[in-house]
Amino acid sequence: GLAILRTNLKWPNLIFTLFHFETLTFFVLCLSLPENGQQMKAVVQWFMRVSELPVNKLKLLGREPHPQEIFYYECRNCDNEVNVESILRPVKVKHLDSNDPFPDSSDKDTLYVKLSWDSKVFGVVNSTVMESPAEGPSRRVLPTPDHAIMQKASLGEVGCSSVGTPANVEAESLHSATKLSASKCLSAKRRNATARTPGVRKRLELSSECSHKDFKMQPLCRTREQQGFLYISNTKNHHFLTVSLLFLQISPGTPKTPRHATPSIPIRSLQTQQPANILEEARARLHVSSVPESLPCREQEFQDIYSFVESKIIDNTGGCMYISGVPGTGKTATVHEVIRCLQHAADMDEIPSFHFIEINGMKMTDPHQAYVQILQKLTGQKATPDHAAVLLEKRFSNLAPRKETIVMLVDELDLLWTRKQNVMYNLFDWPTRRHARLVVLTIANTMDLPERIMINRVASRLGLTRMSFQPYSFKQLQEIIMSRLNKLKAFEEDALQLVSRKVAALSGDARRCLDICRRATEICEHSAADPSSTGLVGMSHVMEALNEMFSSAYITAIRCASTQEQLFLRAAIAEFRRLGLEEATFQQVFVQHQALCRIEGLRPIGVSEGLAVCQRLGACRLLLLEPSHLGVLQHIRLNVSQDDIFYALKAD
Amino acid sequence: MKKSLQENHRENQNVPVSYHCVCRHLLELLRRTAIHGESNSVLIVGPRGAGKTMLLQCVLRDLQKEEKVQKNLLQVHLSGLLQTDDRTALKEITRQLHLENVVGDKVFGSFAENLAFLLEALKKGNRSSSCPVLFVLDEFDLFAHHKNQTLLYNLFDVSQSAQAPIAVVGVTCRLDVLELLEKRVKSRFSHRQIHLLSSLNFTQYLERVWTQLSLPDSFPDKKFAQEWNAGVKTLCEDKSVEEVLQRHFNSSKDFRSLHMLLMLCLSRVSVAKPTIKPADLLEASRMCFADATANMLHGLSILELCLVIAIKHLNDVYEGEPFNLQMVHNEFKKFLHRKSNSMYNFEQPVVMKAFEHLQQLELIRPVDGSSAKVQREYQLMRLTLDHSQIMDALQKYPQCPTDVKQWAMSAFG
Repeated sequence: GLAILRTNLKWPNLIFTLFHFETLTFFVLCLSLPENGQQMKAVVQWFMRVSELPVNKLKLLGREPHPQEIFYYECRNCDNEVNVESILRPVKVKHLDSNDPFPDSSDKDTLYVKLSWDSKVFGVVNSTVMESPAEGPSRRVLPTPDHAIMQKASLGEVGCSSVGTPANVEAESLHSATKLSASKCLSAKRRNATARTPGVRKRLELSSECSHKDFKMQPLCRTREQQGFLYISNTKNHHFLTVSLLFLQISPGTPKTPRHATPSIPIRSLQTQQPANILEEARARLHVSSVPESLPCREQEFQDIYSFVESKIIDNTGGCMYISGVPGTGKTATVHEVIRCLQHAADMDEIPSFHFIEINGMKMTDPHQAYVQILQKLTGQKATPDHAAVLLEKRFSNLAPRKETIVMLVDELDLLWTRKQNVMYNLFDWPTRRHARLVVLTIANTMDLPERIMINRVASRLGLTRMSFQPYSFKQLQEIIMSRLNKLKAFEEDALQLVSRKVAALSGDARRCLDICRRATEICEHSAADPSSTGLVGMSHVMEALNEMFSSAYITAIRCASTQEQLFLRAAIAEFRRLGLEEATFQQVFVQHQALCRIEGLRPIGVSEGLAVCQRLGACRLLLLEPSHLGVLQHIRLNVSQDDIFYALKAD
Repeated sequence: MKKSLQENHRENQNVPVSYHCVCRHLLELLRRTAIHGESNSVLIVGPRGAGKTMLLQCVLRDLQKEEKVQKNLLQVHLSGLLQTDDRTALKEITRQLHLENVVGDKVFGSFAENLAFLLEALKKGNRSSSCPVLFVLDEFDLFAHHKNQTLLYNLFDVSQSAQAPIAVVGVTCRLDVLELLEKRVKSRFSHRQIHLLSSLNFTQYLERVWTQLSLPDSFPDKKFAQEWNAGVKTLCEDKSVEEVLQRHFNSSKDFRSLHMLLMLCLSRVSVAKPTIKPADLLEASRMCFADATANMLHGLSILELCLVIAIKHLNDVYEGEPFNLQMVHNEFKKFLHRKSNSMYNFEQPVVMKAFEHLQQLELIRPVDGSSAKVQREYQLMRLTLDHSQIMDALQKYPQCPTDVKQWAMSAFG
């Protein structure tokens, strides 16, 4: 029913997301709408259309169903709260007695309820069923209403009102086939109503006896501009309620495989805060994820890759390139920037247009999934790995001239290794086909990967176009931070130099460098209360951040260990010295431990306790142990150098 | 009253003063993820029982109290012991996030589809609009053993790229956890580590005992509470109690073992005896330190005990070389010839049965690599008991014949 619904839509503003679970459409009787502006849930009742009933069950009806007929869905395991965003549009509903004839109406937006359906049999709907569900969770609210909708809603008759005294806790609202207002209108009214009589429980009754003519539309609409809400004033003894019927698609009670689920993370309910001061701003810019306008220090590599890809695109040929470098040297970022520039050039019609796809060896569960992902990104088709391989093979060897070149980035190439290497073979073989027009850029960490793991026929197809990204030097790292900060004065000059020199000496990983800077800004923020601080990140802050990240915790761990644990480490060293080996059984160490206990004037401990001490040291990997079921026979090794232990214990 | 004290244990899960700094660090970090949408990753490292999970829970509790954060943070909790591979971990993440391929409690699709789906979902998000997700990985080190470390790579990669904001918090007791990470995974991890190492001294330890045992002011029966608290105070000042606690403190600074000890004490309190006596603590401590294997020796028959003693002598003579049944039996026979008055020889099958029983109790264990083809009498074995355990057990063995005892004590069989 989805296609029809889409074409029927009159208020596109009301449609946000459609659930793609099932082709089933349910109708929803909206009984109450949220109230406090935060939650976006509506409490609903479910209805089914004729087309959604199982065909073989239709004969239970005993008559031809009316095309406009819907059935009250009695299903207890249905969630009666739905996301407001899934509401499509309002329609009219009329409750008819089961013997009443269907009225003649050409209005497609009017629907009739006679019977209920509990997934097995039909039943009679009595009007009390249409009551609102118990109050409880129903006090919820909508987001800011769309102004356009509100306008529309107020133009149509907003029917129905009810009579009730404010003192009356139960305000009843009788009404029938209601002209529907936008659901959001209701929320505004509800809010207004409850503001006056808090805790009022509304009851709704659908009955065909009352026609909406009995009630007069209140023309007292006024807009509260500062909030963008439409309020309908309610006079003293009147409460306004509207029953909206909504289209909604959800999963039915019984789980069905979701075929068209959209991958998405829920939307956050509050705005993100913008950085408030210089340090926060600096931190946001220094986050690895923030994409800089241009990548400094990789100009040469950028140029090489750019001209390689560009020439292939212009010549309508294919080719491979292998890019290597240790992690955090900007390989993927550079390739992405190249593609961005090329895309820009293609938009300006300087070069022919091309199609860019990207796969990552780490982002798949199995090397053969590469075929599936490539096929899906090229054509949107889904297939099994084998089938996808066949389809791709056909596609790339096909003689039919293709419109545009495909540029493919294969990240973490080493993970696509299989025993027969057919995935790699295919990746490098396709570009060599005459009509493939495929450019493959591969990225991995090790420079000699082709020689090390590829068999000859694969390595030869990869070709000799290689490039290696050297780790950043300290000057380059400094430049990277400077360019990210973009003249924002948050760091002292020396502090930056210290970070970049330290990281350059260790790994040359730009990610590390940025992380340290970020941590340093935090430390600086904490010490801001200190009157001597300048508000800039200084040497001391950077030193602290460096220490946190690079210092090993072993020594502190030994210092913080309990007395018996420390003694056990000493006993282990003593036993190693005696044996002249780096390994001993627990039994041997334990003898030493008992002796040490006596020397230290402590009460010797039992074997069970000794084993527990040993296990604790093993758990935090100060010791390396054999599996514990071996008991006293398990072998023990140290995971720290003996000097470290002596140093840690001596300082006490 | 007991209930109240038990609650005290739970209530007292407040962060110790020494952790306040790291607590604030973690709180700030997670709050920034929730409010600013900044992705982060952090590891909490510390020995078992140091309070890692408690710290995290405290931080999360504080975080939930804040209005801004409350509805703005999705949480995913994983444990390395439960999610033993990436397949189950992914299903669990998808389930806990209620993504759209979840119906009821079931997650649909294959492993590959799940991964692609989750990554697509995270990739579609961005800093300002999607809801931040907090991933808590308990026993983080076990996740590093998953194939290719796919899950870790992807989580860290998301946390370092402009996708949906996430915070990854790993909890582990291994100090060398970073060495387990692959190079490219390690590079994507932000290297924030929070080390929880308690430098607690004995006075603080005693204070902790005191606060754990004393009744809160809110206790309904004021008079009883006063008496009880006074009782606890005298208990804590007792010399023997202090000695026992010192011994526990020396063995481990872990609060869990302390709670265990105090619980044992507390369970001995009744209406008739409404105070904890120092003797209770001593008894509880004795139970805590009891040697499990030595206890097992008390249940052996006299023949089995004799075999164990024979094995001990063999170990003395051959300096821990493995033995077999035949050797043990010979040693036993030597003893019978020379000294025994109360014991007489058993048939070979009976001795064999006793020997097998010892093996079942894992008091002796076959040497690795000795093949099963060897006849059972000649299979090489090792003793998994320490001599001190044997001597201990012998002292307490009910009605042990004196000649057997003497044989055990003598230097040579």
